[in-house]
Amino acid sequence: MTSTRLIQLSSSSYRDYLRTCLEDGGKFLGLYACRTGITCLVEGGSGSISALSCDTPDKKAPSIVDLAFNANWDEREAHDLYGIEFDGHQPLRPLVNHDSKLDTWTVRLEGEEPYQVAVGPIHAGIIESGHFRFHVVGDRILHLDPRLFYKHRGLEMAAESKHFKEAISYVGRACMACSVSNTLSYALACEDILGLQATNELSRTRTLLLELERIWNHLNDIGAVCAGVGMAAGNAIFGYLVEQVRRICEQVTGHRFMARSIQVGKSEIEVDGSTVEQVRTKLGEIRKLFESSWRDLVFNSTFQDRLTGVGIISQENAKLYGVVGPAGRASGLSRDNRSRDKSLLYRDFEVSMLKDPSGDVKSRFDQRELELNQAFDIVSALLEGDIASATCEVRRGPRTPDEQDCIDSDNSDTGRIGVGLVEGPRGSTLCAVELDGQIIKRVHLRSASFNNWQALAKCTIGNLLPDFPLINKSFELCYACVDR
Amino acid sequence: MIILLNNLRKIRKSENLMRPRKVRSLAVRHCDGGSCNGCEHELSLLSSPCYDFQRFGLSVVASPRHADVLVVTGSITVAMVDAIRRAYGAMPEPRKVVALGACALGDGVLGQDDRIIGRLDDILPVDMRIEGCPPTPEQIINGLTKLLEQA
Ligand code: SF4
Repeated sequence: MTSTRLIQLSSSSYRDYLRTCLEDGGKFLGLYACRTGITCLVEGGSGSISALSCDTPDKKAPSIVDLAFNANWDEREAHDLYGIEFDGHQPLRPLVNHDSKLDTWTVRLEGEEPYQVAVGPIHAGIIESGHFRFHVVGDRILHLDPRLFYKHRGLEMAAESKHFKEAISYVGRACMACSVSNTLSYALACEDILGLQATNELSRTRTLLLELERIWNHLNDIGAVCAGVGMAAGNAIFGYLVEQVRRICEQVTGHRFMARSIQVGKSEIEVDGSTVEQVRTKLGEIRKLFESSWRDLVFNSTFQDRLTGVGIISQENAKLYGVVGPAGRASGLSRDNRSRDKSLLYRDFEVSMLKDPSGDVKSRFDQRELELNQAFDIVSALLEGDIASATCEVRRGPRTPDEQDCIDSDNSDTGRIGVGLVEGPRGSTLCAVELDGQIIKRVHLRSASFNNWQALAKCTIGNLLPDFPLINKSFELCYACVDR
Repeated sequence: MIILLNNLRKIRKSENLMRPRKVRSLAVRHCDGGSCNGCEHELSLLSSPCYDFQRFGLSVVASPRHADVLVVTGSITVAMVDAIRRAYGAMPEPRKVVALGACALGDGVLGQDDRIIGRLDDILPVDMRIEGCPPTPEQIINGLTKLLEQA
């Protein structure tokens, strides 16, 4: 495990540095602001993470959206929360702020035919709050402007000045559906700063919880697609399956969503061997019911017909928007954080890919089935013997070349900023933590949903308005994770 | 489709849910006032074969116009206040309000003071409080059926 390296740059060298990183095979991971400047996170070709930090005394920074297109929302958020102006990002539309006129946050479409359909923030079903502006002609979507952040609770700012052990509850509160992914990325970020490394036992517990979260979410999301085409029987079966897994989560962690199960530096979860065995058997039954129900869906041609060719993200667009998670893989991007992971138990992990990923609703749907089966396999291999409470150990041994490298160079630093990167059910979840001693200076959570909403809006273009619920469900992104 | 329906039939049989003798009806409109999505995920399971809330005459309706009760979740963000008030205003009388989950009850809410109101009581008259973080589907059904008895 290598530490995150902090690289202090001037606002004139920041763009060039990032460009070189990206040209060398690096990947943009996220950007956030704080009171004194902005920080951009990139993953180098070797898998090490750098934090490019740049002071902004005049509240101005150069935009990087032309280099990393999916920094769009990051810059808009940094502007709304910290007043940073991004030079070259035009127009810099409001994202978090809602007290602005319609034409400041929507794209203007000219002509006599296009009209707008406004939906939300309150929706017709049991759905989180968010607003959509569809620009349509007839039933055809020309453009979609989503407006989220109705649920912005200011969790990140509220966590500042708290002890790092206390601040994990703020991260956990962001989203219950991704509670393990989010808090685990936070814990890894803190451990990155503190120089701690999980023991094998701790990694095992964490991997188990993360995969359980993936299982219930994928079951839920498959059910959601059934609901999206109005197939009640499918929705009902998958609702049943979700409930069964939620009961298992409660049995293992004491909470149906595994809230508060992740802690910095340790785990207090204890499960005796016979319960572990019970859980294994139960999961086996769940898997069987899932497989037979899935087969039925595969051979239901009316159902399948609704999924094919709808809501396509081409591989090219997926790359441009940096689409993560099952949605990215369904468009042919073979990235999965689990294959680069060194802090959890994903040895010999191989990214599951469809034979012919075409980026439509059907591909995203089928991708989930692949990953579900993989998650069932991982979990069943981990469910052997007691689960005992566990801790971290202080990282020892020689420094890695990367670490040595950043000690040698004079403008970089480790130990003040930490980054945790986890593959959640919806994709890459990142948490960046800056500490002052043990006190939180800044914490930033960038969930897979935050990244993928931008692509979702894009892939509705040209589709029919009545297909939107289905396209939406094929991503099943959280609003809570994004809004924080 | 046959396998799916067969699976469902088996589930129904094994769950063997009690059917109440007397059934009345309550149309529910849900409104997310800034939740963590936990309350929503549990609400969604009410219609699953494990709980089948319709056996109590409960249903979720698409518009506040059709609703008897407004179920509000979350820490009530400032950005949602207007929408919640408008949904309430659109409901026909008599109407009831349920605060669902610890957040809506103002219990242990986290966030920035200028972004959240922190409890539903401060913006609407609350008739029923359902505790839990999130409340389990069972707790939600208990709360809603109690509301039915009161009516
Ligand atoms: S009560 Fe709990 S589950 Fe419900 S919105 Fe609040 S934090 Fe989430």
